[in-house]
Amino acid sequence: MSSTGDALDQLMAAARAGDSAAYRHFLAEAAQRIRARLARKMGGDSELEDLVQECLIAVHDKRHTLDPGRPVAPWMYAIANYKLIDHWRKRGRSPIELDDEADMAVAADTMAATDIEALLEQLPEAQAQAIRLTHIEGLTNREAGERLGVGVSAMKLRVHRGMNRLKELVDEQEQ
Amino acid sequence: MTTTDDLLDRLSADGAATTGKPRLVFGGWLLGAALLCAAGVSLLLSEAFYSVELYGTGPMVVKWGFSLSLILFCVIALRTLGKPGRRGSLFLALLALPFAPIVALLGLELSTIGPMMDGPTWPRCLLAMAIMSPIGFAGAVLAVRSMAPTRLHSAGLVAGMFGGALAMTAYAPFCPELGMSFMTLYYCLPILLMAGIGWMFGPRLLRW
Repeated sequence: MSSTGDALDQLMAAARAGDSAAYRHFLAEAAQRIRARLARKMGGDSELEDLVQECLIAVHDKRHTLDPGRPVAPWMYAIANYKLIDHWRKRGRSPIELDDEADMAVAADTMAATDIEALLEQLPEAQAQAIRLTHIEGLTNREAGERLGVGVSAMKLRVHRGMNRLKELVDEQEQ
Repeated sequence: MTTTDDLLDRLSADGAATTGKPRLVFGGWLLGAALLCAAGVSLLLSEAFYSVELYGTGPMVVKWGFSLSLILFCVIALRTLGKPGRRGSLFLALLALPFAPIVALLGLELSTIGPMMDGPTWPRCLLAMAIMSPIGFAGAVLAVRSMAPTRLHSAGLVAGMFGGALAMTAYAPFCPELGMSFMTLYYCLPILLMAGIGWMFGPRLLRW
């Protein structure tokens, strides 16, 4: 067990000794701390919870890179920082605020008279594919992301940008 | 119950114990690359230890002393950089250590007999470095990807350096050239070039 008094260290040591309840507690505590850390850096970003989940999956998948006896916190925060930077990189460091609800809440008949497929062909393939999966096939962002092998954040961004572009194209046609 | 709670349940069901053999995976990729280079050299060159036959083990001590110590420091640095939250700066600085005696010997050569840069086998040296460095680099990239690197430029740089050092280790026993200038130009510079390539492409190749 680590010499520090950090609850994370104690929970991880117990979890590694085979205590499965301790591992559940460890992950819950980690989620709380990561959420707090990311919230300070991201503000009220709508993707905060997705990123917290990405971090938790990374912490779990990469737990073999934490040497026994080493303090958990620096390791865990390094993963969280890495995931945050990766998240910003995927968003192109743009200050876009993704509005999932607005992106998903396009009324069914809004574009009824429009040849959607023709419009989609004018979009970059990644965005068109994202919209086909989420708005035509009805998958969630997570399901669509899993099918394409990209993260939820990247999927949301594709849908968001694609929908914005689609709206512009429709406006141009109406003028 | 929220989605995050579901996720916590799912993850905790796996337990905290490490699955698989992560050390074996890490070492396996590096060893695999080394074996591939060694096999290539032994298949293509009939006299893989040609320089030893010509000059004895002296020049080999210098060449392998440099390349093997560089490989060792690269492996240590890769292991460290693959662990989030660990300071890898010291291990990165250690990578300069094997270059120090080479620079000293090069200085001695330049100040006494002048640059010994010519050597008829230089195209083969460069070709060997160009073919085998990417193999070592690929092995190092796969090895470090099995961990969790968070400093991708640095990890890429070390992976590139490992690739170059591995290529040199595989080919150097054959190389009959003796000059330190030759070694600097056709071995050290390609190693540094590979390190630069690794630094450049690290963020793309090592993302996880």
